Amino acid sequence: MTRSRKTTITALSALSAATLALTGCAGGGGGGSDDNVLRIAMGSPGEAQIRVWDQVAEQFEAAHEGMTVEMNYQDDDLYQTIGLPNLLNGRNAPDIYFEWAGSRLEQRVSDGFAADLTDAVETEPIAGLFDEDVFTSVTVDGTVAMVPHAADVTNVLWYNKQILADAGVTPPTTWDELLAACDTLDAQGIIPIASGNKDLWAAGNWLAHLASRVVGEDAYAQALSGETGFSSPEWEKALGYVKELADHNCVNESANAVDDNEGAQLFFQGKAAMHAIGSWLVSWAIDEAPDLDFDYVNLPAMPGAGDQDSVIGVVTGYVVNAKSSKQDAAAEFLALLNNDENVQAFIAAELTPMALSASGGEIDSRSADLINMLETAPAIVLPPDTGYDLERANALYTALAEVMGGQSSPADALAGIDQKLG
Amino acid sequence: MKANRAVTPYLFLGPALLVFGFAVVLPVAMTAVYSLTDWNGYGSMTFVGLDNYVKALGDSLFRDSFAHVIAYIAATLVLEVVIGLCLAGLVSARRRGSLWFRVAIFTPVMLPMVVVAILWAFVYNADFGLLNAALEAAGLQNLQKVWLGDPSTALLAISVTSGWVYAGFYMTIFYAAFNQIPSEVVEAARLDGAGEWQIFRRIKVPMIRSAVTVAVLLCVTGGFQGFDLFYVMTNGGPYGATEIPTTYLVKSVFTFGNVGYGSAMAVLLTAVVVVVGLILARFNRQRPEGARS
Repeated sequence: MTRSRKTTITALSALSAATLALTGCAGGGGGGSDDNVLRIAMGSPGEAQIRVWDQVAEQFEAAHEGMTVEMNYQDDDLYQTIGLPNLLNGRNAPDIYFEWAGSRLEQRVSDGFAADLTDAVETEPIAGLFDEDVFTSVTVDGTVAMVPHAADVTNVLWYNKQILADAGVTPPTTWDELLAACDTLDAQGIIPIASGNKDLWAAGNWLAHLASRVVGEDAYAQALSGETGFSSPEWEKALGYVKELADHNCVNESANAVDDNEGAQLFFQGKAAMHAIGSWLVSWAIDEAPDLDFDYVNLPAMPGAGDQDSVIGVVTGYVVNAKSSKQDAAAEFLALLNNDENVQAFIAAELTPMALSASGGEIDSRSADLINMLETAPAIVLPPDTGYDLERANALYTALAEVMGGQSSPADALAGIDQKLG
Repeated sequence: MKANRAVTPYLFLGPALLVFGFAVVLPVAMTAVYSLTDWNGYGSMTFVGLDNYVKALGDSLFRDSFAHVIAYIAATLVLEVVIGLCLAGLVSARRRGSLWFRVAIFTPVMLPMVVVAILWAFVYNADFGLLNAALEAAGLQNLQKVWLGDPSTALLAISVTSGWVYAGFYMTIFYAAFNQIPSEVVEAARLDGAGEWQIFRRIKVPMIRSAVTVAVLLCVTGGFQGFDLFYVMTNGGPYGATEIPTTYLVKSVFTFGNVGYGSAMAVLLTAVVVVVGLILARFNRQRPEGARS
């Protein structure tokens, strides 16, 4: 081997090694290089809750001399897609990160990014802060993988009390009542139900819940888990009801062109009588439309095989990174987050934590009713995008959007799902 | 002494080569490697050979995304290059006020594309937007549409936005090229009785063929790389009508965690762009400046 060739190989080796180091391809970060910094990542929870997080961080720093807490708030959609995987792979990976229970959490466990928190919740420091039952949905392969923080009902039908009263419409509790309400409101030039479905999940959650009521919870879960396909008479019947929504002009014509924020604005500004979205609307509406008099009904009962009192919802919480060198400190932070004082602070910021002490707080009556509805639900349906594989969820959402927009027939839309998923 | 002279050029080239290696060669090479694997971005990597390429070539959504981007490029060739050329012709023919006109037309180029996308999404918004409000004010309610929610208008709406931004960019290129044409040529044509349109069509445009070819090359390759407007304004919708290769592969990689498959699509897209670029460059070499079309 000549000297020049040796030099070239050495240079290439150095180049490759440096590149691997620079691009962080060494297999995921381990909580960063600075052992005195506790890094926490999440989608932005809004200004009011950020103030609470900052307080908790200050309390933690005061109790742990020399340690600092670094918060990383990202745009929600960004966090759910690109943001979190990038952070977990980066050099300063979070020690604690927000996650949804279900398929996503299972994926984190299988990829080695979720620490086993069983001891922390059974003994110290988190023991006693929660009812034991809440850990069921965050247990993966027999181990607790996440400390739950809140439970969201991801879809109900919000309504503007004044508009419905003026139109002589009562909040719909059955499918026929819903279609009749759409006809009445549409005839009066009012958008019956606002939706901002550009990103597919907003109406996707709502209509997936509707479909689960028709096909039954088991068939719904089997199709979304990949155990069965979507092309079946039951699913076609379910999407037939979605077509009825389109036929009765129930949803704003712009639904598939505007995002969830723009959809909500139609409701906030009184252009739409109803809005199908999740429990987070309460704090949002109080902020943006303080004069709006609104309430909710669960999805109206459908003619179908499912439980007609089912609730679509998901538990969210915080995972400790299994690659973090500060797992004990992270568990202590999560205990602090869920103590009485901080739980009450979150309630004041319009979030209702799942910790036991939340029951004594002053919660908005609608939020309290939603929590009660979720806790007493005879069946809980997991949202497709957080409970199941995202690619299958997206295929279903696309089909639902196509039918809702009058672009495809139920049969064609369902065939499209199976074609897309191979 | 001779040895030093031989090494010197490499010493000067070294820093640039190093940056080029890190910023271009290595990412391309790593993307090519990832394209041969089944990988979600952080778990274990499994070698799958050419499976991802076979899947991509058989994926109707990926094929459709190329049809969409070709339609977009065709529209932008008109809305950006042709209109840019016409604007440059107008500006170069009329000296009075041309500076202000050029500045006004060029201003959108300086705006970040995400800002442009948000601005135009508001213009097109069916419920609150300026376009439908203007149509209503003009008594043209029957022309109102859900511009970004209708598959028949969404792609065109994005193309118009792109044209609004880049027509000024191409105008600037063509205006500079027009200024390089010897004034005697234009004066001689005027003395022979040629009008401004004839001068523009028969003399000016043929004499700036290289600039036109560069503009077409930029527009075509830039079109294949388009992303921001599509991602912000429609996110590939409605019903996939504005899904282009870049948005599709980004969703594949970052939303669904199919890094291997997305990388294969990226390699295929890069290959198409390189081939199209080479064809256009070769076409330019074969036709000398001023040749009749």
